[in-house]
Amino acid sequence: MKRAGLLACFCAALCAQQFKFDLDQLASKASDVVDLSLNGSTLQFAAKFLDSKDPDEAKVKKLIEGLQGIYIKSFEFKKGGGYAESDVQSVRAQLRAPEWSRIVGVKSSDDGENAEVYVRNEASKITGVAILCAAPKELTVVNIVGPVDLDSLAELGGHFGVPKLQNAPKK
Amino acid sequence: MDWLEQELREALRRQEPSPDFLERPRRAHVLPMRRWMAAAAVVLAAIGAGGAMREYQGHVAKERVLLAVRIAGGKMNRIQAQVRGVAQ
Repeated sequence: MKRAGLLACFCAALCAQQFKFDLDQLASKASDVVDLSLNGSTLQFAAKFLDSKDPDEAKVKKLIEGLQGIYIKSFEFKKGGGYAESDVQSVRAQLRAPEWSRIVGVKSSDDGENAEVYVRNEASKITGVAILCAAPKELTVVNIVGPVDLDSLAELGGHFGVPKLQNAPKK
Repeated sequence: MDWLEQELREALRRQEPSPDFLERPRRAHVLPMRRWMAAAAVVLAAIGAGGAMREYQGHVAKERVLLAVRIAGGKMNRIQAQVRGVAQ
């Protein structure tokens, strides 16, 4: 009975997520791991505790309205080479047309970071976003399920202790 | 008929009430009251604990959402800044 329940939870999580993160094997090598799995009901529950009077929290509340999930896996390594290109490829291979389209791809030769943003379109509507950031000592995969405003998300990224970058750092 | 008379006399003999005769009904009334009050206190405590638990879970969920937005937004912000930098 317990197993069936666990299996149902696992299936529900997979169904909500729009692509698989087969990256659990990296956890043992990483110095820091962030694994967030927030389904629609968790987001709506959390929204009740966000303070509408706080400008930032009000923006977050608006952003997560109508979202069906946010799934994040982020690994930080003390040394380079903590993950293999095949790990990144296993995620990238799932983000293919016609469902997914890559809207941004940034490669920095200085810090070796490779960042990509994919958007999932269904009936001309954005129904999901995937962010894939691979730096020598860090690998982050994000899946936001539902209609998301990327500009608002980027703007919020400049808050909560993360400095907002107006322009790319000078090299 | 002697035995019947004897039995009746015995049965209808005047008897003094026990010393706690008047206390008994009051005690019978007080005891359930105490039980009810204890049960109500347990229910209220459970409701209070449930509310506190819900509040705690809400704050944990909120912190997780803020962390998710911080990570995803931070990445998006960085990507946008890099794109803007390239465009300029």
